[in-house]
Amino acid sequence: MSIQDTNTITRWIQEQQEKRTFQDWVIDIGPFVTLLGLMILFSLTSDRFLSFQNLLGNVAVNISVLLLVALAGTFPIMQQSIDLSVAALVTFVGMTIAVLISNFGVGGPQAILIGIILGTLVGVFNGVLFTKGKIPSFLVTLGTLSILEGGAGFVTGGSSVVFREPGLRELVIGQFIPGVPNIVLLTLLIYGFTIFLALRTKFGRYTYALGENESVVDLSGVNVDRYKIGVFAISGLLCAIAGAMLVARIGSGSPGMGQGLLLPSIAAVVMGGTALTGGVGGPHRTILGVLVIGILRNGMNLTGVDPFFQEMVLGGVVIIAVALSIDRRKIDIVK
Amino acid sequence: MAEIKDSDLNQTAREGTDVQRDDSALHIANISKSFRNVVALDDVSLNVNEGEVVGLVGENGAGKSTLLKILTGVQEPDQGELFTHGEKQTFTGPLKAAKEGISLVHQEQDIVSNLSGAENLFLGREGDLTPYGYVNKERMIDEAQQHLESLGINIDLSLRAGDLSFNERQLLEIARAFMIAKEGATETPIIMLDEPTAGLEEESRDLLFSLINDLRDRASFIFVSHELDEVIEISDRIYVLKDGQLVNEVSASETTQEVLRTSMVGRSLSDDYYLTSKQLSNTELGEEVLAVDELLYRDEVGPFSLSLREGEILGVVGVDGSGKERLGRMLYGDITPTSGSVTVLGQEVFPDSPSTMKTTGMGYIPKDRKNEGLLLYQPVRTNTSIAIVDKMMGKLPLLDIGLEKRETKEAVEKLDIKTPSIETLVRKLSGGNQQKVVLGRWFANESSILVMDNVTRGVDVGAKEDVYELCREFTRQGISMIFIADELQEVIGMANRIAVMYKGEIVDIVDAPPEDKPTEKELIELMV
Repeated sequence: MSIQDTNTITRWIQEQQEKRTFQDWVIDIGPFVTLLGLMILFSLTSDRFLSFQNLLGNVAVNISVLLLVALAGTFPIMQQSIDLSVAALVTFVGMTIAVLISNFGVGGPQAILIGIILGTLVGVFNGVLFTKGKIPSFLVTLGTLSILEGGAGFVTGGSSVVFREPGLRELVIGQFIPGVPNIVLLTLLIYGFTIFLALRTKFGRYTYALGENESVVDLSGVNVDRYKIGVFAISGLLCAIAGAMLVARIGSGSPGMGQGLLLPSIAAVVMGGTALTGGVGGPHRTILGVLVIGILRNGMNLTGVDPFFQEMVLGGVVIIAVALSIDRRKIDIVK
Repeated sequence: MAEIKDSDLNQTAREGTDVQRDDSALHIANISKSFRNVVALDDVSLNVNEGEVVGLVGENGAGKSTLLKILTGVQEPDQGELFTHGEKQTFTGPLKAAKEGISLVHQEQDIVSNLSGAENLFLGREGDLTPYGYVNKERMIDEAQQHLESLGINIDLSLRAGDLSFNERQLLEIARAFMIAKEGATETPIIMLDEPTAGLEEESRDLLFSLINDLRDRASFIFVSHELDEVIEISDRIYVLKDGQLVNEVSASETTQEVLRTSMVGRSLSDDYYLTSKQLSNTELGEEVLAVDELLYRDEVGPFSLSLREGEILGVVGVDGSGKERLGRMLYGDITPTSGSVTVLGQEVFPDSPSTMKTTGMGYIPKDRKNEGLLLYQPVRTNTSIAIVDKMMGKLPLLDIGLEKRETKEAVEKLDIKTPSIETLVRKLSGGNQQKVVLGRWFANESSILVMDNVTRGVDVGAKEDVYELCREFTRQGISMIFIADELQEVIGMANRIAVMYKGEIVDIVDAPPEDKPTEKELIELMV
């Protein structure tokens, strides 16, 4: 290697180091700083906030479902698609399980199994329509969202379905490890699984690559459609699990049970660092966004902030987070 | 080889500053520009006279693009001055530059594909064609068509730009630059052409050159290109940039490609540019590895048949629209053929998808590296391994990252890819090294047949030589190639045989042994 080459390489390295801009910094540690800031703020303003009972019993339990839904939403966003049907799927699966148990006398575990299979199939359905039908995922899942939400209400005439299945509830809020509710434990296990899926498997590798540039993956001889459908199947599966957990926890299914999960879940994904432009971030980062939202909500509840005002704050936080973290390198013009 | 001394060069550069020539259409004095710590332009001075065509050459990263951006007001220089027709200018944006009669044909096509050709021509300068904001489409198309006719270009402007061919879009962009130049306040506009012939076919290229020659008395040109023969052909004077500095200024009539290459690269290149001496002879070639029988795509490409032997390079040439790019895509299954059959290593396969063809040992290198070849925002490692992810599985369904790193390092070493590390983002590499990453991908996959479409497109002169060397080495290892390219010299130099395409069909397959290479003229006669 000549001196010339060495110089050029040195220049590249310098350039690379310098290119770590303020924004890179924001994306990398912004969520941590925000989290820390919120925790300091709330521990000063509320004496109940910083307690074991509050953090594990309230915050962790409350964000478990959101985390699962956000993880579900992460994979499609990584491949530059989007799944808008996540929250509706939670409702749909929750209602299915409730109806199966209360109206058809199906046992708890069997009902859950059926619900999870159904949810995964809905994901596959989304994926097939999107890839084979060449319909943008945004539109396909917007349609599914409406079908699922409408369907869940239609079956029961809009009313809630209450069931008695003490075993199921115990499964979720019981404590296999003392002090840690099972729902939290299970969610963490699934969180770990998604990290492996994204970072250590063929599936994850292709998902990132698809988000960056599908043509390249296609021309590298990869059966692209199979993996694109797989992404939506995973999304469906995770939402179904979220629905099952939610319905088990509250002991009833209602047509609005998943409402209010969609915006926070997408916000959490983006806040975590998975840009809507795809190819970057991943499920390991999504938990940060979920924690920010969960703690913000909990803290505001404890300090008695008006619920409507809470919504406004949340909306503002979402816009700020997206503005700070969105990967603008790949988009010159935003529409 | 002519020695170039730094002191001499500075002398040349300085001279320009002191003397304000009356006949200079454009004069740049001591322009410098840095991006953070990287110096893109270092004290560059140059002069374009009225009616002169000035060539500007240099490797990627030499500073050509930065210079053009400064001239069009897209970027501001840190130091230095700019004069047009003897008047000092500060360009604050493309519109201001346009008013002074400076226009640029971009390297990357700058066409809005869902607008019609006419709308593209007038984009941003609709003027009186939009009374009260309403676009008078008929008049617009009319005027645009007239303008094109005056330039001798024949394109249907009512079509959406996206429906035009690559060649036509390029012509459209050239027409727009000429139009802006004509509209400028000055009588004698300055038109800058940044790689205008990249991807342009022979015929359109000739048209462009005759346009330039026609307009010489009314305009000045700056012509930037990697194709040195073209630069010499069209320019009066040629400036050579290297690492942001002006290292040579030559008169086009007195220079050769060799001189330019040497100044650009800073060292002399071998005579045997295409390493024809390393070409395998007919007796050295192995068994037939690929046989294509009557492959057809609708009524557009084919039916064509061809065969390829182990270690052979089969060149494919043809004018724009002759179907040579699609021939490559059909072989690789990216375009599913309507009928016909392909036999790879004795096994018949139907090329219905790239994944099918990859399993037969075929690899594909697309023409458009940025959009189809590379994951630009991902590191060298994942770009190299994307075709071999299947082979990186351990016992568990988890990727063996250690294996991936070893494979990547091996490819980097073997192909001499110059990268700070295998974790460097691919977009930070030069064009030549980027292309080597694409080649490395198929090397790692141990593909035995490579379909390559313009493998040296946008690659520096010096790095091109490396690519040719690699190709030769690959053939010695028994890899066979379908070598599709626009540059005839390159195909002639590299190929064992050359398939000539015309209107979707292979009209002839010409032998090209080292001792008896066909001439460009012979091929062109078959191509048109």
